Amino acid sequence: MDDSLIVIDNLVKRYGDHTILDNINLEVKTGQALVVIGPSGSGKSTLLRCIAALEPIQRGSIRIDGKLAAKGVENAGAQPDAASLRDLRQRIGMVFQQFNLFPHLTVLENITLAPRRVRGMKRDEADALATELLRTVGLEEKRDVHPERLSGGQQQRAAIARALAMRPKIMLFDEVTSALDPELVGEVLRTMRQLAEQGMTMLVVTHEMGFARDVADDVIFMDQGKIVERASPDVIFENPTEARTRAFLERLLDREGRRN
Amino acid sequence: MNDFQFGRILAYWPDLLRGVGVTFQLGLISASLGLVLGLALALMKFSRHPLAYWPAYVYVEFFRTTPPLVQIVWLYYGLPLITGYDLGAFGSAAVALGLNIAAFYSEIFRAGLVGVHRTQWQASRVLGLGLIDTLRFVILPQAIRNVLPPMGTTTIYLIKDTALASAIGTPELLRIGQLISVETFRPVETLTIVALLYFTVTYPVALFVEWLERRFKVARA
Repeated sequence: MDDSLIVIDNLVKRYGDHTILDNINLEVKTGQALVVIGPSGSGKSTLLRCIAALEPIQRGSIRIDGKLAAKGVENAGAQPDAASLRDLRQRIGMVFQQFNLFPHLTVLENITLAPRRVRGMKRDEADALATELLRTVGLEEKRDVHPERLSGGQQQRAAIARALAMRPKIMLFDEVTSALDPELVGEVLRTMRQLAEQGMTMLVVTHEMGFARDVADDVIFMDQGKIVERASPDVIFENPTEARTRAFLERLLDREGRRN
Repeated sequence: MNDFQFGRILAYWPDLLRGVGVTFQLGLISASLGLVLGLALALMKFSRHPLAYWPAYVYVEFFRTTPPLVQIVWLYYGLPLITGYDLGAFGSAAVALGLNIAAFYSEIFRAGLVGVHRTQWQASRVLGLGLIDTLRFVILPQAIRNVLPPMGTTTIYLIKDTALASAIGTPELLRIGQLISVETFRPVETLTIVALLYFTVTYPVALFVEWLERRFKVARA
């Protein structure tokens, strides 16, 4: 039994005639933290959304824990059934750019809703779990307030705690700091770094190159719906093999240099 | 100088009170029927499945484009002819009004559901929540806040429309008023009192909706 948590084979995703993901092959092993970088429109977020089963795929397959989680609608054969899909989905946690907390529920209720309804956890058990998770993301004192009373960084940390409450085997982070004020980015990245150090398997789409350099086991560079290059951060940032990776990073660093 | 004789009308107070009761029951039953059916229709219209969408579409368009009076009369006289089943005056009126208002409620529900951002559905989905749980705990609590004001107005319209039941002899408030004015030859006084009594039914509904609005006033992220 190998330790592959996610295996993606020849994934093709299209919207109409427009190909978003073009023959993606990707393997994520348990405990790995992978960071996906690339220009906007390169398909990074769509890739995460396909893994989270928020988007149907046209061709190829996605396996999670060795079980079929998604199959191209154009492929022959049966799709995975609804019950096993629900089961697989619980192994995936996802955090969004816009947090997507439930505005009518308190932070605690946001976190406990899925454990109680999906896992059938008792209220006090779920409350204890939520309290523990809020401590790890540093929000214990916010457990009874509504999301609108939180800063963006706090909302995002609450969203991370909510995803963790389902005890996922892998966490997907979709540009989770892009909607934050610059001074709030650090606290969210710290939480994510902490998770990676604890051995959480993560797939992170981000523009934070410092995070990619420090935390990633591998960095994946995507462009025009393809994975152009996958390598350790050292290789990607110091000596990328592909000209396209180099060009992207040079443009990015140039822009950041001018900003500073 | 006036010779209004409200006293003569008020002498009929036990009948008027019974009329208020029937009006209230008509409103309550048809509103309940309308709410349940309206929510179901709204959800059906969200479905991409043609067997869910099209029946709901045809239903809503039929019931909101034809007069409720026609629907009441049709159900009262037509249904027994076709099916042999007679709902009676009160039953026909309650069901017809409920079927009618469901079309309007469903469009309000739909607007409320559309108003909840689709990312709330996605967040629920990645947490593994099923459709029913997502609706019950995430979507509807947020939608209800948006729909309460138009729901209140529509319900008040409904209660006033219960007066149409007088056409088939349901002993509701307006019908009682008609009978009293025939007996007393005092239509102006009678209708004035009847109008005030309608107010005593509709105004509490308005207050109730206001109270609900305060209760469901929740934060937006």
